[in-house]
Amino acid sequence: MLLQVIINGILKGGLYALMALGMSLIWGVMDIINIAHGSFIMLGAFCTFWLFEYFKLDPILSLVFSISSMFFLGYFIQKYIINLVIRAVIFITLILAFGIEIFINNFALVLWTADVRKVQVPYGAANFSLGGLATIPFMRLFAFILAIIITTIFFIILNKTKLGRSIRATAQDLDAARLAGVDVAKTYSLTFGFGVAAAGAAGTLWSLLFPINPMMGGVLTLKSFVVVIIGGLGTMLGPIIGGLTLGVVEALGTNWFGQSFENLISFSILVLVLIIRPRGILGGSE
Amino acid sequence: MKKISVYLILLLIAIILPFFSNNFIIRFVTTIFMFGIMASAWNIKGGYTGSASFGNVVFFGIGAYITAILMEKGGMPFYLAFPAAGIGAAIFGILIGLPVLRLRGHYFAIATLGVAEAVKALVDNLEITEGNSGIYVPTLNLPVKGQYYFYYFMMLATLIGIILTTIFILRRKFGYGIIAIREDEDAANAVGINTTLFKTTAFALSGFFTGLAGSIYAYQLGFLKPEPVFTVQTTVKMIVMAVFGGIGTIFGPLLGAFTIEVISQILSNYFLVIHTLFFGVIVILAIIFTPQGIIDIVTGRKKFGMAYLMENIRKHRI
Repeated sequence: MLLQVIINGILKGGLYALMALGMSLIWGVMDIINIAHGSFIMLGAFCTFWLFEYFKLDPILSLVFSISSMFFLGYFIQKYIINLVIRAVIFITLILAFGIEIFINNFALVLWTADVRKVQVPYGAANFSLGGLATIPFMRLFAFILAIIITTIFFIILNKTKLGRSIRATAQDLDAARLAGVDVAKTYSLTFGFGVAAAGAAGTLWSLLFPINPMMGGVLTLKSFVVVIIGGLGTMLGPIIGGLTLGVVEALGTNWFGQSFENLISFSILVLVLIIRPRGILGGSE
Repeated sequence: MKKISVYLILLLIAIILPFFSNNFIIRFVTTIFMFGIMASAWNIKGGYTGSASFGNVVFFGIGAYITAILMEKGGMPFYLAFPAAGIGAAIFGILIGLPVLRLRGHYFAIATLGVAEAVKALVDNLEITEGNSGIYVPTLNLPVKGQYYFYYFMMLATLIGIILTTIFILRRKFGYGIIAIREDEDAANAVGINTTLFKTTAFALSGFFTGLAGSIYAYQLGFLKPEPVFTVQTTVKMIVMAVFGGIGTIFGPLLGAFTIEVISQILSNYFLVIHTLFFGVIVILAIIFTPQGIIDIVTGRKKFGMAYLMENIRKHRI
């Protein structure tokens, strides 16, 4: 029983890691807290849902579409909106992201109504037994593996390509990067695009496992915070550690206290970690 | 002198307005006052001390719920529950402020947001708050028109209270202290300002008035549920109003509350279904074009025009 709970937590934690990856990237490079992150996850989920509804496109193939469309959306939002206020005091970008979130959520609400929807794939309920000790739902394991693969791809892009180098340079020292010939405005737009693309991918995987609706973003944003805060900024391992931690703690907590305490548990972790170790479990000192 | 007379005339208009208008207008202006209180309260912390709280709605919710619980479960009259709501919210501000106020910048913003969400989830699960089924507040025993007057003047009095408090503290050592903290916290510490005490006091003051607003709101509404009372959108509204009016100014947040509420009302008249969508657009435009606040334009210190808007963008773009 306990093993089953922990396995469920780990599987969900993989998805949390992917969810938080984009937020961590954007926060670390540009010092922007993307409040609209959950809304982008929601858009990714609906992208998958409609492609499945209308074209019977397999949700896993629709990853290509959700990732690419979210990338361009993020790129243009950064280029034409956020870059205009990027040098103002930090809470300005935060409140701007709130405006974007309100707009996206209500836009989705007008377009798709508040109905709860679910992507019903024929293989959705398949599972296999782990030596009689625990059952592993196939879809959850699959989402977990995909989440880890996508996180790794992002890791490689950031660490092994020229683009990744310019992103990291900009994060370290904006002026120095500029002097070295990095187009900072473009790098910012690309970074935001990557972050939002990761959110889109997380949305696709989320829609495979859970019901979706236009207002689901808020809680997902806060959970992404929790993961980023636990893992700390500036490392690619951070989101994975944070995601798995949150997944397991949440699974254990809801197992003991009940499902309705799920949010209370995550937000309490958030506040506690912030107070005790504001730079995250892995993060260095100020 | 001229300035003071303008404010006195505005105050006079505010006092006689309800006697010449219908219930709809009275309720509408009451809401403007409520957001004026909350934006001004946010301004004490976010505008003068410089660290932006993204969880101020928690004070509003706590004030509202204290009022509901004391009146419904404790049988207390409103004139006792009202100050209790303010004090309760202030105490919560101190308790939560001691650990959270050590955080800076984004971490403070996120921590306050987390606190607000945690309290919402807690209220959702507690027995005494009746959880998600909601809690009733006894109704005011007055004829309908009298009720409208009561809530109107309670909000107005609280609003005047916070404006006077802001003016008062700005002329004291406390006011200079918190502005010094905004400009450079380490330097403020070095010249002997007790930054922890000052920041906590500012946070508690902010909580006190927001709690009072929540208390009146609870009495007026008569029924509370966690989701609408603790919604993060209320925090967003406070901040946008303060920014749009002008943060770090005395009357800016009130001006912002007035302007944004009027714009929202007009939009919701014309676009019933999608007016919440426009609120997002208002937030985005206000942040991009008027990060300094429109108070400079209203008081004639700056001229409104393309040049003004572009100047703001040029300052902050990359």
